[in-house]
Amino acid sequence: MNFSPLEFLESIFFEFRYAPLIIQIAIIFVFVAIGMTLLAYASILRRRFRGYRRDKKIVRLNDQIDDLLIENVLSQDPEAVETPGQTAEAAAAAFQLAPFGTRWGRQVLIDRLINYRNNVRGTMGDEIRTLYLLLELDKDSFKKLKSRKWNRKVRALNELSSMEIGVADVIILPLTNSRNRELRAAARQAYIKLSKNEPFKFFDLATEPLLQWDQVELFRIITTTSHIAIPNFAQWITYSTNKSVVSFCLKLVIHYHQLKAIPAVMKLLDTKDHLLRAEAINCLGKMKMADAEEKLVYIYNNQPLDCQIEILKALGRIGSGKYTEFLRQEFMLSTDFELRKNAAKSIINTQAGDSSIVDELMATASPENKLILKHCMNPLIKF
Amino acid sequence: MSKILLIEDDEVMATIVKRILQKAEYQIDHVRNGKEAFEILETSGFGFDLIITDIMMPYANGFEILSRVRNLPDGRQIPVILLSNAGNEDMVKEGLQLGANDFLKKPVLPAELLMRIRRVLTREPG
Repeated sequence: MNFSPLEFLESIFFEFRYAPLIIQIAIIFVFVAIGMTLLAYASILRRRFRGYRRDKKIVRLNDQIDDLLIENVLSQDPEAVETPGQTAEAAAAAFQLAPFGTRWGRQVLIDRLINYRNNVRGTMGDEIRTLYLLLELDKDSFKKLKSRKWNRKVRALNELSSMEIGVADVIILPLTNSRNRELRAAARQAYIKLSKNEPFKFFDLATEPLLQWDQVELFRIITTTSHIAIPNFAQWITYSTNKSVVSFCLKLVIHYHQLKAIPAVMKLLDTKDHLLRAEAINCLGKMKMADAEEKLVYIYNNQPLDCQIEILKALGRIGSGKYTEFLRQEFMLSTDFELRKNAAKSIINTQAGDSSIVDELMATASPENKLILKHCMNPLIKF
Repeated sequence: MSKILLIEDDEVMATIVKRILQKAEYQIDHVRNGKEAFEILETSGFGFDLIITDIMMPYANGFEILSRVRNLPDGRQIPVILLSNAGNEDMVKEGLQLGANDFLKKPVLPAELLMRIRRVLTREPG
């Protein structure tokens, strides 16, 4: 039997038409599913192809930018430059090319200039910044900052802070307290880098928490940005209602060894929040505040475990030797393993030149305590 | 013309260093990691006058490359300059202890880069 295609389709339609309803629905469902899958594949392929073409275009444009930058900026002898910006002015003329007239081309140029600026310092780095300004790329960044999309705002903030272009407080400060985590972090980092007078002003407004990772990033920026005005962190330790800000300030107090903030840290020993209290004790220990020892020993018995551990550590860090008997008692009588371990470590720290107490403990301690002492005496094990 | 091997995984940094050195009329070969570095060192019979290596890299970091180069009879005499953006004191000390001839912190100052290279290259092999 020979069927023409038309007859074949007719027979299929006939079968479909007189099939039970459930079969008809199933067939429609199968066809729709196949159609959608094909559509999805086509869309993925199209996106990949466009991405591939875009990447190729970016590579070509980057090469062009590299050539222009090397030729017009990096190859210039800094000694021959009479006035700052002279190299950039000459280079700006070379960048008046068609690809840099499009939004896409200008974005590639911004990204490349930032990369170069991150890798080159001194006069050359300054010339790259001047070039960014002369080509009016800062206008593109400010335009992005006004965008409704948070990811464009983050991009703009990164660009402006990399190029050290000042942003008005009225624009950036509200962003430091944005509910969007990424935007908030980018704005805070940019604010610290860009604000010359009060880089920590956003601490006053911060109601959203400084997350751990944000703290690491902020710490890196604060400690690596030159000419940053370091304030007295006591003001936030005393008045801030944001616990993460207080916690972060305690870390900064330790880093900058800010003795004038110590009274505020001491007051924090009376706070109801035991996590903050533990951080304050940690701060006092790391600052080697011998004056705080008496209060720490006084409050010891009323503290939760984390604070007790921090007190024992602090006594070891301060290392005055005044409370060796207290540490010895804790080591001998405490039922908690962590407390005994930290007491042992602190005894060893405070007896650096005199091992008589350690020898005595080794002779009289229980087998488990001896093991703890031996463990703590290992200089490779840090607490 | 001195021949320099640059081991650097950051494309922009590599371009900058390459162009600065090419302009100063050095012959430069660039590889992206320790694995490629040892391949080129072996095939060239350690025929380089200087190695400039980044520290943080995939496969083998700058310290591993340095110590391997220093442990090879042909590699002992090649001067090595370490390049890193994490130039803390311990890193500098570790690098110099392993036998690095100099340490350059990123971002680089083109004039400083050239000056240090010239200084290392004109130093008597020791």
